Amino acid sequence: MKEVTAIIRMNKINQTKEALVSEGFSAVTAIRALGRGKRPVEPALIQAINENPRDSADLLSGLAQGGRLYAKRLITLVAPDDKASSIIQTIIKVNQTGAPGDGKIFVSDISDVVRIRTGETGDMAIDEMNGSDRRSK
Amino acid sequence: MIMIRAIVRPERTATVMQSLLEAGYPAVTKIEVAGRGKQRGLKLGNVVYDELPKEMLMVVVNDHEKDFVVRAVMESAKTGDKGAYGDGKIFVSNIDEVYTISSGVRES
Repeated sequence: MKEVTAIIRMNKINQTKEALVSEGFSAVTAIRALGRGKRPVEPALIQAINENPRDSADLLSGLAQGGRLYAKRLITLVAPDDKASSIIQTIIKVNQTGAPGDGKIFVSDISDVVRIRTGETGDMAIDEMNGSDRRSK
Repeated sequence: MIMIRAIVRPERTATVMQSLLEAGYPAVTKIEVAGRGKQRGLKLGNVVYDELPKEMLMVVVNDHEKDFVVRAVMESAKTGDKGAYGDGKIFVSNIDEVYTISSGVRES
């Protein structure tokens, strides 16, 4: 099984959820997170400092601590190995604006999954169809 | 690639992030969490605090940079010379694939 962890823009969470549901992946965990990426500082800020070097002393000391942290959403899905790539493509399709700050997707291995309600393990525990079948019986 | 998740004292996160920045790792994700450790939280009189506020920092780095980053976090998150209970833990896990959403490119 694969765990897909995506860090996305705050305002894309609803579209991402909708898209994932329409692809058949309804199980998602979402967490509010703060983060920054590789982009060191906004160009506009540097330009402002260049124009007003005298008033920018505190700005400069702020810059020494790196860029600011932006509010992000961290979403996690666990899926069978063969479904991971379609989850990744869905997330990329919805969240891609082409500008820095769209986020990252990390994929890692999950060695086992247990469904607490029934005690099922492995693929059985994350098989959505299997779970809904059981409920209807 | 390697994901390093460090659970540190909230008052140390700024220090840890500063030392990561100086080491060349500006990209960090920060999540506020609550937890306890092996000491079962803090006991003050009759009151037990077993959900202590911590912050989790998440960094993803190349395989060969792992030890360097772990050491950087460890040194900056430690309090006092020997460290103290509650300084936190660092968890290291393997990441198979990394994608940048803005370009859609797979990075590893």
